[in-house]
Amino acid sequence: MTRLFRAALSIALALIAAGCAGATAPPLSPAPPPSPAPSRSAAPPRVVSDELPPPVREILPNGLRLIVQDQRSADIVAVYLWVGVGVRYEQPDELGYSHFMEHMLFKGTDTWGPGYLDRAVEGVGGRSNAVTSFDYTSFYIVVPSEATERAIQLLNQMAFRSIFDPQEIAREREVIFEEANIEADNPKSAIIRQLYGLVFDGHPYGRPVLGTRPTMNAATRERLMAFYKRYYTPENMTVVVAGPVDPQAVRAMVDRTFGPAPRTGYQAPPLPTPTPLKETIRRAAERPEQQAVLAMGWQAPRSDDTNGDAVDLLATILAGTESSRLAKRLRDDEQLVQSVTMNYAALMGGGIVSLRAELEAKDVERAEKIILEEIARIQENGPTEQERQLAVTKFEAQHAFDTETSEGLANAYGLAETTWSLEAEIQYVDRLRRVTTQQIREAARRYLSPGHYARLAFVPRGGPTSR
Amino acid sequence: MRRPTPRRAAPLIAMAVLALLLGAVVAAVAQVEVKSSAGAVTRSRLPNGLTVLVRENPAAPVVGISVMVQMGTRWETRENAGISNLLQLMVVRGTTSLNGIQIVETADRLGGSIEAIGAADFSEISGTALSRYWKEILGLVADVAINPSIPEPTFQAVRDFLVRQIRNRGEKPYDVALDTLHARIFTPHPYAWDAIGLKESLERIDRPALVAHYLRHYVPGAMVVAVSGKVKAAEVLAEAERLFGALRTGPVPVPTSARSPAPAATRDVLVVPGAQSQILMGALAPRMTDPDHAAVKVMGTVLGGGMAGRLFSELRDKQGLAYTTATQYPSRVDPGAFVAQLGTAPENTAKAAAALAQELERIQREPVTVEELQVAKAYVLGNLAMDRRTNARQVWYLASYEVAGVGYEFLDRYIAQVRQVTATDVQRVAREYLSPIRTVIVQPSN
Repeated sequence: MTRLFRAALSIALALIAAGCAGATAPPLSPAPPPSPAPSRSAAPPRVVSDELPPPVREILPNGLRLIVQDQRSADIVAVYLWVGVGVRYEQPDELGYSHFMEHMLFKGTDTWGPGYLDRAVEGVGGRSNAVTSFDYTSFYIVVPSEATERAIQLLNQMAFRSIFDPQEIAREREVIFEEANIEADNPKSAIIRQLYGLVFDGHPYGRPVLGTRPTMNAATRERLMAFYKRYYTPENMTVVVAGPVDPQAVRAMVDRTFGPAPRTGYQAPPLPTPTPLKETIRRAAERPEQQAVLAMGWQAPRSDDTNGDAVDLLATILAGTESSRLAKRLRDDEQLVQSVTMNYAALMGGGIVSLRAELEAKDVERAEKIILEEIARIQENGPTEQERQLAVTKFEAQHAFDTETSEGLANAYGLAETTWSLEAEIQYVDRLRRVTTQQIREAARRYLSPGHYARLAFVPRGGPTSR
Repeated sequence: MRRPTPRRAAPLIAMAVLALLLGAVVAAVAQVEVKSSAGAVTRSRLPNGLTVLVRENPAAPVVGISVMVQMGTRWETRENAGISNLLQLMVVRGTTSLNGIQIVETADRLGGSIEAIGAADFSEISGTALSRYWKEILGLVADVAINPSIPEPTFQAVRDFLVRQIRNRGEKPYDVALDTLHARIFTPHPYAWDAIGLKESLERIDRPALVAHYLRHYVPGAMVVAVSGKVKAAEVLAEAERLFGALRTGPVPVPTSARSPAPAATRDVLVVPGAQSQILMGALAPRMTDPDHAAVKVMGTVLGGGMAGRLFSELRDKQGLAYTTATQYPSRVDPGAFVAQLGTAPENTAKAAAALAQELERIQREPVTVEELQVAKAYVLGNLAMDRRTNARQVWYLASYEVAGVGYEFLDRYIAQVRQVTATDVQRVAREYLSPIRTVIVQPSN
């Protein structure tokens, strides 16, 4: 799992995964295998270069970027639309608009009404969905290859010809409020959401992706339409197509659909830098569940900072695999936690290393102490060469598994193009191989400060208290 | 995200008849290669009765392995409910040569994973790795299947972990609703409880009981090994024979004999703290080998499949009554359950329940349209095609049908049956299985 994927996954967990249930499955059951945002990947040179040609990247005259990956593992094509809009672009009175817009784009255009897209896509055996995060919004349609052009047409209509019917706005608002209820009901997603609020206090990354009741209630057709016109411009979009396709044929399809959209002269607004944490912030919240959850978060390098490579390996070695240091110590040896995971999310304006453990309320203090001990140990001695290799293998394998499906690649490329760069993504595994144990130790010293982090505990109501 | 992510297709299970099919004495390795929708699959039977399936798939440099055993809730009783899943968690926590940490470290080193779970109709050990390590991951999976040590201290910890999980389950509105509905639909059949088991039964199970359960179920005639990835079938087969060939034989285990009660209308209302209300309606539904199986799948998809389904388009898109809504009808060896679900705001509970009931009634009263039928069938088949792209899912499908005794080719027959379902079939099975209906509502306390 690469670093940008983790950004996507963290967001998914923070916002949405609680509601993740589908045709055959319920909400509030154990989370499904990673899926809201299939992992980012490239054509990792040593692994599959003999099987996958490199992706083709082009820029249309109107500024729209197009990435095509010819990938023939199945007769299924993934078409993604990535838009550079998300929470961080919202003004304080527009909170939740990016996500509201994501929903509304499925609700009708000047040529088709609500429900049409679902029937059109599912009627050929395909799937569609969308994700809203801090730095981006992405939409995808995955279909049998003969429906590729139809999928591109549908995404184009959503991107430029949505109508925002006031009645549909009112209905969809209620759906989003339900989405927020689901998030609140799931402690694992709620705690990460709240941790972001502490680590990025005062910064857009600390805001709720789902917005607030007042901002959402104030979202009129006029205001949403203005937001749409501002950000949904060809210069702010990337289309990614992966599957058994010919790049030239895809280019022609995209020219016919997205090509005529005029430039608007859009320029991304400047991105504020998060204020560094000045001390350790400690919070506890009482919850209805008996299961306690501990979360800790540190500020970390942003997506274009190459120091992030070492942080990726660091987080993996500490708590990113089944045999990580913290899994062994806290879960297996001390048997203090039921699970412990650490993620590094590299956002465009700043990164976050977040840790989450499920445990009993009485063990929260002890677990936190041991986590700090293990951080101190890796700051002192660094990882072993074996640990470094194992972490690199994990990323290499993640790339290899991504190549099993077309959406694995399409998602990875779109995320990279929107929040990082396609080039950096393609060289990613090779760069990780070059990170030394010394660099990982330095990253631990620099980023996992024992005096500058946020710590949040969910404890049962009326149970043992926690500061 | 607009739509909650679809979870994996629900599990199948294993059959007693399999005993007859696989128990037959085979003098040497019998091998058949068949072209099916799964791609080229080689099926072999080892002299001790173990079935090996291999699918060569060079598309990505990875491999997936599944070992399935005729063991799961279907063979359990209320007294030992959850023992299969507990045993599975234990087999990956120590063998005669590796401790639990060494097992996961090995899998991490191979760029993969190893996991084990118990389900309703089977139990599974699954492994993945970079394909250059296929031999090592197969060896690791075989080691935990053949030589588990079931260490006593770990056993206590794992059992405590599961008891806590059961407690947590009791705090999740959806889980509470589903468990309550399943108990209503199935009791006394063992499908009445989730594979995790019951607190009372888990607290009673000791290590000797677990060892006895292992010896009863891990016999070659009741096991299937499936491998898919960038591998060579002949090499995998030779290695599987070397690893599993010496497994001691024994009688194939017989499932618990109990029948689910006749359908009836029931209604339960429970209180669990939370922000959402959960409304579930369900009934006993046909087993996977029933001629109505494909029609009920299509009927469930017309209602709750995808975003074009009636529940999503009517109750969520048009009425704004829900964020999550779905139907489920997992394939089961014995008669299973059809369940329709709606998660809604507490103040909408009564309205949403009435709207859900109305949709379950409408599909019995009016035939579905030509377009709805076409979309639902495309959805079922498209879902299947997309879900089967990874090697991990491929081995899951291959092994689960094989261990259920219907052969992995079942999937091709099922696909053909789905294509043949008519609007009349949908209406007929809706009338047959959706009335009477059982209802469970779980509401927040305030």
